[in-house]
Amino acid sequence: MQVPGLGQLFRWRYARPLLQAPLLIISVVMILHGLFGPTLAPKNLATTLSWLHFRGVLVLVLLCAGNFFCLACPFMLVRQMARRFFKPRFNWPRALRNKWISVALFVSILFVYELFDLWSSPWWTAWLIAGYFLTVLVVDGFFKHASFCKFVCPIGQFNFAASTLSPFEVKVREQDVCTTCHTKDCIRGRRDPSSDLVVIRGCELALFQPRKVGNMDCTFCLDCVHACPHDNIGILSRLPGTELLTDPLRSGIGYFSKRKDLAALAIVFTFGALLNAFGMVSPVYAVERWLGRMLHVSHEAPVLGLIFTFFLILEPAVLLGLAAWLTRAWGGVRRALLPLVVRYSYGIVPLGFGMWLAHYSFHFLTGLYTIVPVTQSAVASLGWPLLGQPRWRLTGLPANIVQVIEVGFLVLGFAGSLVVTHGLAEDDAPDRPLRAFIPWATVCLLLWLASMWLMFQPMEMRATLMSG
Amino acid sequence: MLCAVRGSGRTACPLARVCRNLLAFACIPALFVPGCSRAVDSSPTFKIEHEISPEPARVGPVTVTLRLADAAAKPITGARIALEADMSHPGMSPVFGAAKEVAPGQYQAQVTFGMAGDWVILLHAMLPDGKKLERQFDVRDVRPN
Repeated sequence: MQVPGLGQLFRWRYARPLLQAPLLIISVVMILHGLFGPTLAPKNLATTLSWLHFRGVLVLVLLCAGNFFCLACPFMLVRQMARRFFKPRFNWPRALRNKWISVALFVSILFVYELFDLWSSPWWTAWLIAGYFLTVLVVDGFFKHASFCKFVCPIGQFNFAASTLSPFEVKVREQDVCTTCHTKDCIRGRRDPSSDLVVIRGCELALFQPRKVGNMDCTFCLDCVHACPHDNIGILSRLPGTELLTDPLRSGIGYFSKRKDLAALAIVFTFGALLNAFGMVSPVYAVERWLGRMLHVSHEAPVLGLIFTFFLILEPAVLLGLAAWLTRAWGGVRRALLPLVVRYSYGIVPLGFGMWLAHYSFHFLTGLYTIVPVTQSAVASLGWPLLGQPRWRLTGLPANIVQVIEVGFLVLGFAGSLVVTHGLAEDDAPDRPLRAFIPWATVCLLLWLASMWLMFQPMEMRATLMSG
Repeated sequence: MLCAVRGSGRTACPLARVCRNLLAFACIPALFVPGCSRAVDSSPTFKIEHEISPEPARVGPVTVTLRLADAAAKPITGARIALEADMSHPGMSPVFGAAKEVAPGQYQAQVTFGMAGDWVILLHAMLPDGKKLERQFDVRDVRPN
């Protein structure tokens, strides 16, 4: 916020709509092109922008800055416009104030992505985007505050998990200023003194700034920045991942170590990263064919279901359960098995993020320039070839260069996970931290080796997984 | 309590009102549905047969053989044919090739599949009478080497 120009922009009350508007326009263009444009995915803006550029830029921005995509979220702009007409009346049900729904949706999107080969279908990609807009309208049309962002949005949960490793955070500058503050506008909203109506919203995700720790659940919406009468909240730099090392009481979240749903998110985030990459390499087809033969099924859904169950339930249960058991038995840590798994599951988030980075940046960088011919073609199809004839030979960076970057991300993720799990082990077993650390380091090593193996597998992309 | 009954007997239910408004909003995308059918090139004027060898195709160079004929099954000679092969995933390098006429109405091109999986071949042909023809066919299950 001290950066000239950028600081003024973010302090400006309408900074968010300004950033959201271009993304909303792009989203509408993607929907229209997905529905009415070319059926071939590499020629369509919906698929090219969704599965290459959006995902690639998303993870790189999360790595280099923070959760700025939630800040510029076009769905929230539509929600804000819709809320002029529909005033939500209900509070999100207490029983659902957790991440279980969003984790289930996260898994569902990964599953549907593989089952229906969304990357190859502009039509379904367009409907996915349109469906997202509709879901936002329905959820936030009924329920107050940012219920969709906090409890439903699977992209948001992905961003929350990844942004724990971002170098920037929305937080207070001086705690003393907050101690003497009586109005607490950052959470309650700034009110008009005469009418007592809220004129600037406070945090819709129930994050009370003085007690907020880290980026979890923070959409960078900057409501708190605008509401604070003391200009005491900003986007400040920090050491990435530090919030995973500690377990304080977090405003709007509670203790990480007591949140099984958040641990499930961390597990799905990490193991899902491997699974998502596994779906794009040759061995997966051999596995699918073998499973299909064993089960005597030709439909992909049950086979894919089994693969998902193995990757997202069995494998984490065995690996993390075994590590937790060893930590108790060998490291002498006096915690029950499940709380140990929950506590250390946050330690594997850097590994997962490394894998997402490696995977998405591969597609993004190797297909970086494809947006040029696809846009040229889309404009030309309107009858005005203003941008010239499509240059279909434009693709991106050479794969061998990108592969070096991928390895770098994987190493970075591995190192991050080792640092976090070591930090947790030091806290749990100050006398013999190595004994508590080694089981988790082994899990990290295994996952990292699996990631490296996946990265060096020949890619294979099919729109028909069970063929052959 | 979500609903209250007015004196007239009509239910003034905020939940119902919100539902109604949201339903109206939700119906907007349905307007797109009738316009979403795809144009299919079903011209009966030309017949194009294609063949890939080796079969099944493998990563590396493959030969695409095309046979062009008119409605009376007479081979079309002297056409200029360019091929473009794309993967089903966006962002992958397309490969290009030009077909040569090896026999009357029979054209051959070499394209190199760089990756296993499903490919789509786009055919752009310029016929001797100046007509342009575009076709698309799938090459499924290109095997790794």
